[in-house]
Amino acid sequence: VRCRLSPPQRPLQASAVLRRVSDEQKKEPLASSSQQQLDSHPADPQPEQGPQGPRPSYTGQGGQESEDYESEEQLQHRILTAALEFVPEHGWSAEAIAEGAKTLGLSAAAAGMFHSDGSELILHFVSQCNTKLSELLEQEQKRVQLGEAEKKPTDQFLRDAVEVRLRMLIPYIEKWPQALSILLLPHNIPSGLNLLTSMIDDIWHYAGDQSTDFNWYTRRAVLTGIYNTTELVMMQDSSPDFEDTWRFLENRVADAMNMGNTANQVQSTGEAVVQGLMGAAVTVS
Amino acid sequence: AVGLWPCRALLARRGGALRALCGSVRGLAAEPETHFGFQTVTEAERREKIYKVFESVAEKYDVMNDSMTLGIHRVWKDILVHKMNPSPGTLLLDVAGGTGDIAFRFINYVRSVRERQLQRKLKHHQNLSWQEISESYQEDKSKSLGDSQVVVCDINKEMLKVGKQKAQHLGYSEGLSWVLGNAEELPFDDDKFDVYTIAFGIRNVTRIDLALQEAYRVLKPGGRFLCLEFSHVSNPLLSRLYDLYSFQVIPVLGEVIAGDWKSYQYLVESIRRFPPQEELKAMIEDAGFFKVDYQNLNLGIVAIHSGFKL
Repeated sequence: VRCRLSPPQRPLQASAVLRRVSDEQKKEPLASSSQQQLDSHPADPQPEQGPQGPRPSYTGQGGQESEDYESEEQLQHRILTAALEFVPEHGWSAEAIAEGAKTLGLSAAAAGMFHSDGSELILHFVSQCNTKLSELLEQEQKRVQLGEAEKKPTDQFLRDAVEVRLRMLIPYIEKWPQALSILLLPHNIPSGLNLLTSMIDDIWHYAGDQSTDFNWYTRRAVLTGIYNTTELVMMQDSSPDFEDTWRFLENRVADAMNMGNTANQVQSTGEAVVQGLMGAAVTVS
Repeated sequence: AVGLWPCRALLARRGGALRALCGSVRGLAAEPETHFGFQTVTEAERREKIYKVFESVAEKYDVMNDSMTLGIHRVWKDILVHKMNPSPGTLLLDVAGGTGDIAFRFINYVRSVRERQLQRKLKHHQNLSWQEISESYQEDKSKSLGDSQVVVCDINKEMLKVGKQKAQHLGYSEGLSWVLGNAEELPFDDDKFDVYTIAFGIRNVTRIDLALQEAYRVLKPGGRFLCLEFSHVSNPLLSRLYDLYSFQVIPVLGEVIAGDWKSYQYLVESIRRFPPQEELKAMIEDAGFFKVDYQNLNLGIVAIHSGFKL
């Protein structure tokens, strides 16, 4: 039986490592757009990356305390972000997290805060990428609204969104198969699936999907399929700048667009055949 | 069947109450009172008594551990080191480490991690010049532990003596040092160690809060506190069986194997007097540790508490 930390009655003492939030605010400019975004969608299981100012009381009982110092979660995010640069060398593992902790001036033992298979590191990275994607899509939408750019046709939009998102994997592409296999472990499937579905939902939202019927489900299912298959193709693609992958993506998106037409064609052909048969039956009898 | 221990406990408590009465009648500023098993004693008395207990059991400590726990204590200690997951270069302080069980396991673990690391490095470096290859061999020889070190600290000379003998016997020499010291007042500087462990020792510390504060002091920022200790069983059936075993079997084993009934009676009583999981967790948090949680082993017979200095 494992017991998790519940909000403790903590005396206000100077923590060894948890920084004052005010210090952080000076260092990193707030990404204001991301805050708004995450409120309107089904939230990611991870809070947004990086300190965003005084957070609602999560660990401390006293309101004062949580405003002054970052919470443990924020420190964990900092460690995971620092750990990402060690992934190409150590893979998605506790070793990378330990190296990341060391760059922040912490002992390598701090990696013990995380699961030993590195799954939190992967989920953190995926969540970070999704946030970046959302920001980019929103910026583009703003530009279209202001008239600075033209509105893209749906298939082009989807292709570009998926390509941008998959390109974020390129620095880690060698170790990404390892990450995918870890994400398939039973205890990671819920969180991984959650992140995937919210990303796909994001993309369709910015593509302008406003369906309220069963189309909502089919569209997301189709895009999820496209994304996953393209990701797998990218894993074993060795062409310069992954040209083969983008061509594969183009074909799949075109197929998906045609799927709608094909369905209608099948239906009308079917109706025509049935009418013909009925007519034949009437003539004969 | 469980009738024996309540009687003894009652007797002890009455004796303790009498003593307390005498103390207040005398009107002296009595020393802070604490417990020794089910007796009530002053803190100084308690320290002395515990010192004597371990002085007398030191020689047979390992044998008794094996017979009392049927060898399961080895698994518990293995789990502790696995949970620690130390990487090469880690500095471990093992307090109340006496006979060195945790220290040896730590060294084994780090050694095997280091070997795996070196193998992986070799696989990647297929095209090295002869110069580089010979350099890497020299480096490997001197770094089989990768700079990891463990300091075993114990308050009892006899336990340290037994530990040193064991180390010699098993062939552990590198990265190991033995220090005589009190957990309530460690002879080390601030911010020195990556991990602080105390396995089956914190129960015998008279002022647990002081020991926790010392642990916080000597750990580096980001360092980890790990405590392996007997704890409370909430399952009623297991609790009854456990009590039966503890009070009927263990002191008898103590008498038969080590010739010392009283020490093992103390052991069993001290387990019952030790704070349960949640209370110990609160004490650890009070010392300033973050992300404190515990893991029950064997339904609560033993618990591993972990905290970080953040």
